Amino acid sequence: MLNTTSVGTTNKSKTKKLVVKYKDEKLAWALVGPAVFIVTALIAYPTLLNIYLSFFDIGLDGSRTFVGLANYQNLLSNPSYFSSIWTTIIYLIGSVGGTTLLGLGTALLMNMEFKFRAIVRTIIIVPYFAPVISVVFGWKFIFDPVNGIFNYIFADTLGIINPSTNLIGDPNTAMWVLILFSIWKYFPITYLIILARLQIVDKALYEAASLDGANAWQRFRYVTLPEIEFVLGTTILLRTIWNLNRFEDIYLLAPQIKTLSIFTYEQAFTGVIDQGLAASASFVQLIFVGVGIVYYIKKILKW
Amino acid sequence: MNSSKKIISQILLYTAVIAIVAFCLFPFLQMVSVSVKDIHDRANPSLIPKEIHLDAYKEILGFAEVDEAQSASIQNILKNPNLIDAQRDAILKKYENKNPFPFPRFMLNSFIFATVSTFISMTCAIFAAYAMARMEFRGMSIMRRGTLFVYLLGGVILMVPLYQMGAKLGLINNKVGVFIFMMLIYVMQTIPLALYMLGNYFRDIPYSIEEAAMIDGCTKLQTITKIIIPLSKPILVTVFVYCFIIGWNEYLYASVFLKPFGEMRTLSIAINELFFSKNDIWDRIMAASTLTLAPVLVFFFTFSKNMVAGMSDGGVKG
Repeated sequence: MLNTTSVGTTNKSKTKKLVVKYKDEKLAWALVGPAVFIVTALIAYPTLLNIYLSFFDIGLDGSRTFVGLANYQNLLSNPSYFSSIWTTIIYLIGSVGGTTLLGLGTALLMNMEFKFRAIVRTIIIVPYFAPVISVVFGWKFIFDPVNGIFNYIFADTLGIINPSTNLIGDPNTAMWVLILFSIWKYFPITYLIILARLQIVDKALYEAASLDGANAWQRFRYVTLPEIEFVLGTTILLRTIWNLNRFEDIYLLAPQIKTLSIFTYEQAFTGVIDQGLAASASFVQLIFVGVGIVYYIKKILKW
Repeated sequence: MNSSKKIISQILLYTAVIAIVAFCLFPFLQMVSVSVKDIHDRANPSLIPKEIHLDAYKEILGFAEVDEAQSASIQNILKNPNLIDAQRDAILKKYENKNPFPFPRFMLNSFIFATVSTFISMTCAIFAAYAMARMEFRGMSIMRRGTLFVYLLGGVILMVPLYQMGAKLGLINNKVGVFIFMMLIYVMQTIPLALYMLGNYFRDIPYSIEEAAMIDGCTKLQTITKIIIPLSKPILVTVFVYCFIIGWNEYLYASVFLKPFGEMRTLSIAINELFFSKNDIWDRIMAASTLTLAPVLVFFFTFSKNMVAGMSDGGVKG
């Protein structure tokens, strides 16, 4: 297809453009070459290799025996695989929902006038930039049964919970901490994207709504929400894709929470290693992530 | 009536602001607090330590003195005449590395991986993003979409095939190989982001500036180095910081490939190992965490304007 931007209208200039374009194509490929090589060799090829590997039984010495769909059969008959899907769904609902709600609330708050707003707006982004490894132990300490502030308040002072409660150590409650951690770490992006959109909403719309007697909730419901609907949907989709892939946070904070990523990692590198099974699990995950990404690229992004 | 309503809404507003700031900062304050607290002070729920102890930092950074008692007992064992030479060598070797947790070394490793890979990524991405933003060539649209696709792809999905590739190429069982392979993996993780952010920025630079340069006799390549790069300084800084942070954060692949090579470990895997290595190690863990956080905070507050702009453009990962 021809690019029509900045192409002249007369025949003469069109011909000239085409000649330049031909020369440009070689240069263009030279320019994209190194990047394309890296992306092809380290992302595109491994993605395809993963599909291939999922049909093999891979020995520890790297030997490959074709087993057809056996890995997929094993996967589907593995109860811990299904429980990891369920765990992932719970994690996604909690973390995406919480991130979106807190991000939206914070964006509305930071759109109001108050003192020190500029510095506050900057400070609340810090959790997003902090390396996971550097904050995860701070979080573990908060919920540490012996020293942590959580047990100090809820067990020692208020007496609501048992003093020996180990919120992160107990697989039943660790999910709550993980979701809270994810909200803390990722709401800043949602907040920033929504705030950027809020700032360009026409103020006259609010004035008109106020004149019509709309209260704060109605102004939010009928003016703000329709304006930010699109970015809200975008952030929810992106957050779902990213949290579906999430590994580090979960593995470092509470590895007993077996989401799909943790399941795959453990199959591939710990205990009884079965990389063929891990490859098939990765491929299934790729399909889910891929559907989300293609939807994002086609419907939301006009790149 | 109206004024009291206003006061109440102001109180609510500031309460909400303080609550959100406290929520964001509390884990950081907790970390720093524990890192400087004495062991007897640790169960004290207050964030403010009774006394400031920097022992944990000293130990982590290798300034602490070697445990005298331990070395004396080793000396005694070595004096035992029944010991054969091989045993003696084995004992000496075991205690040779006085500091099993050379934190500065791990910090240097992380720094090398993060900066070198960022430079490689950005060099490739500047030229590629320019071509994708400005030039028309066959396969371009698939490349644009491909960039986005890989930008959203997670590391877990590529874990097994990359391991198999590394093994087949003989890269994962020796130091040099693993260094090259890991560097490429770091580049692979940052290049889509760099392509995406730079491409978006380049397309907004007015084409007329370039045309003027080309009329003055600049080649396309010179236009990039003399016009585009100087004009893009803010975004280059932003992309650099983003890529550096991705590298500094990396855990997944480092845990797979670098673990067998003790002295090549990066901060993230080393700290996690430290946590499980000893009991009662909170102060040193928090000191290590604070030191890991520090460079990122310095970057962030120095360039916070650029960083925030980059984020709300949607050019973020994670």
